[in-house]
Amino acid sequence: MTSIREKGYHHWEGQFLDNPRTFWPISRTGIKLAFGRKHFKLGYTFSFLPAMIYAVIIYISERLEDFKFIAQGGDKLLQVNPDFFKSYLTLDLLYFAILILMSIGGAGLLADDFRHKAVQLYFARPLTKADYLLGKAGVIIFFTGTLTLVPAVLLYILKLLFAGSFAFFLDYPWLILSILACSLLIVLFFTAFILLASSLSNNRNYVISIIFGVYFFSEILRGISFAIFRSPLSALFSISANLKQVAAGFFQVKPPYNYPWYLSFLLVSLFCFLAYLIVKHKVRGVEVIK
Amino acid sequence: MTTEIKRVFSFYFFLKKKSSRTKIFFLLSSAAILLALVIRAYRLAGHWAENSQIIFQNILMVFFLQFLIIILALFYGTSIVPEEMEGKTWPYLSSRPVSKAAIIIGKYLSSLAVTSIMLVSSLLLSYFILNLDRDFQLKDIWTVVSYSLVLLLGLAAYLSFFTFLSTWLAKPILLGLAFGFGWENVIQYFPGTTQKLSIVHYLKSLLPQYASASGRLSFLFIRLEPTRDWLAVLILLLITVVFLGLAALLFSYKEYLIQD
Amino acid sequence: MTAIIEARNLSRWYGNVLGISEINLEINPGITALLGPNGAGKSTFMKILTGQLKANIGEARIFGEKVWNNRRIFSRLGFCPEDDAFYEDLSGLEFLSGLLSLYGFSQAESRQKASQALDLVELADVADRQVRSYSRGMRQRIKIAQAIAHDPEVLILDEPLSGLDPLSKRRIIKLIKEFKNAGKTIVISSHILPEVEALTSEIVLIHQGKIIARGDIYFIRDLIDTHPHMIRIKSAQYRQLATTMAGEDYLLKMAFEPEDQAVVFETHDRDRFFNRLNELLLSSPLAIDEITSPDDNLQAVFDYLVGK
Repeated sequence: MTSIREKGYHHWEGQFLDNPRTFWPISRTGIKLAFGRKHFKLGYTFSFLPAMIYAVIIYISERLEDFKFIAQGGDKLLQVNPDFFKSYLTLDLLYFAILILMSIGGAGLLADDFRHKAVQLYFARPLTKADYLLGKAGVIIFFTGTLTLVPAVLLYILKLLFAGSFAFFLDYPWLILSILACSLLIVLFFTAFILLASSLSNNRNYVISIIFGVYFFSEILRGISFAIFRSPLSALFSISANLKQVAAGFFQVKPPYNYPWYLSFLLVSLFCFLAYLIVKHKVRGVEVIK
Repeated sequence: MTTEIKRVFSFYFFLKKKSSRTKIFFLLSSAAILLALVIRAYRLAGHWAENSQIIFQNILMVFFLQFLIIILALFYGTSIVPEEMEGKTWPYLSSRPVSKAAIIIGKYLSSLAVTSIMLVSSLLLSYFILNLDRDFQLKDIWTVVSYSLVLLLGLAAYLSFFTFLSTWLAKPILLGLAFGFGWENVIQYFPGTTQKLSIVHYLKSLLPQYASASGRLSFLFIRLEPTRDWLAVLILLLITVVFLGLAALLFSYKEYLIQD
Repeated sequence: MTAIIEARNLSRWYGNVLGISEINLEINPGITALLGPNGAGKSTFMKILTGQLKANIGEARIFGEKVWNNRRIFSRLGFCPEDDAFYEDLSGLEFLSGLLSLYGFSQAESRQKASQALDLVELADVADRQVRSYSRGMRQRIKIAQAIAHDPEVLILDEPLSGLDPLSKRRIIKLIKEFKNAGKTIVISSHILPEVEALTSEIVLIHQGKIIARGDIYFIRDLIDTHPHMIRIKSAQYRQLATTMAGEDYLLKMAFEPEDQAVVFETHDRDRFFNRLNELLLSSPLAIDEITSPDDNLQAVFDYLVGK
């Protein structure tokens, strides 16, 4: 009888091609699947409603003379300045829409793979763990990006077009960078948050409960903590409060809570980093070990 | 039917006891205990001299009323039918000599039992941590018992509603979320009879602190136009019975397909 | 005598998709196998028999009673579903005794019956391990254990042998035969003919939701044998092989594939063809690289039977 010379499972042993777009088929499939889910398209379309309202405000702000009857007493609301863009990017309604959409199209990104033991199938192909995670993250980045970054940039361009001059640009030359940085941070946060939740269970419903549970619990905790300690630092407990605080820092406007905005920035960054480590660990836990 | 409900109840109560998710929700419920400990320590350090009863009413009750009972009912209620279909365990149940109505009622009761244990243990412990001192009186026990009863009524009503959603829809959790954290939050700020279209309205009507809007969290109960106690209890019981009945009825006649 | 299981004009659609159509069937004690390719309607039929689905037209009866929403008959029926699904947090013993408690057995009775069932499927030594840690074969066996634990008179087993290794298959086949010997009625579905052959001679062929043939295994075999089989042989000496085989009377056709150095034979008597091939290989220095049967699957047989 001949002895067994080799045994065990194998990862892809071939050479990985230096292709920076390996993640894209995963993202593309995830985006397609999300659009295929019931009610997703409707929800996604409705999520652009705030952006449309903001676009109308920009239009009115440029034609104040014609809209005097609307503007009466509401001048402040119709001012387009960094605060205007900050307020769009920190709308509670927008965050709620992102959470709803990502519950439909994002909760199962990792959970479904764990449930159907599909992770091994990915790694039997010339795909690194980074490609896999980036592919999954791409789905969330796409949807959160199209709801934050894209409308915010479009609103900025719209403002320049309606104004017909570069005065706005010259008044706030750094604004476009603020929009980019703030949107990216929001996108990054929600990507980390949704992927983390999705990695914690193989049951999609449970993941959705985690997403909303954590979001609302953080808000309740902020309220309770503030009632106890009367400290503005209570806002550090809340997801939306932290994002608002960071956004205020990026847009150089008065922060809603009386503490340095970079504390929230550090907290959000730390959360994203920890989420990345946990997700990476979770995915490692189910792949075939080399 | 009663014996069938008992059988289903025992099986699922045991199943839930073993479930790792139950442990996570137990931990979540214990957040109130942790908060109570923090407040107690803060008070012992000489801060915040306000009456601890008021603190409990205005702070921890918010956690129980507006977060914990909703999230517990939402998760356990909306998963009653989908967990069998998505987990593909439905054939094990459907081929046993128990009626479909008994399956729903038994599963509902087992979920209610597990979540009630989480809720009441957390409520009692956090209450005693905050209030057990020299000023503690016997009537305070009645206070915490009445809180527990009100919250249990709320839990039963929410759970019943979400159970109905789970028999009706294939993916009930999103509608459940919109109801639990959207509708229930928004509607209470509306005046007149509109706010009576929510479960939380009747719960607040039964809690004295919400009827007399004052204190730090008054924004939570502005515009409350309370319903009389006996009527509020009756309506909550009615919601529980009606939605559970509808769920049992629907489940008995509707056909459920396991999705591949 | 009234049959144990009766299906009358049973039809079921999933929206526009046909599940089963006008199935009329009577099943008596012993093993009856439902044989058909994937998607033929076997599982739909079984789901109707076990009360999970309602027929759009017609009705299913077991022991003369309607199945849909009739929980009484389930005390006399055991069902092993196809899906590999469990209450994963439970141990094997807890899983079985929990399900047994739904029949109204006391806790002690449930545990005793569960232990007996675990013994029968040879899982007693892993009874306290969580089901999630079981191997594929163990999971399949515990599924069967939950179907037999309450000692039912009728057993409905949906693909009980699928995905099992030969040893596990043999164990399960032995167990099912023991049930048959105890006078029970067993309905089993499969899409693999040799599996079914090992269990029973009573076969119902289902294809595209309809029963296309019913009879003993020999009848089905005959039907299948009249179906011409294709056998593709890859060899450097494929022309020599073809020349040697050319005179055989059971050969219907031959075709060459020179680019692959292969020859495709068509025969209506596969057994004689392979016997001759074996003789040739033993008696001559022919070297064969590969033997495949391009149409050797049940789907091809069914296509042939329905005249496609």
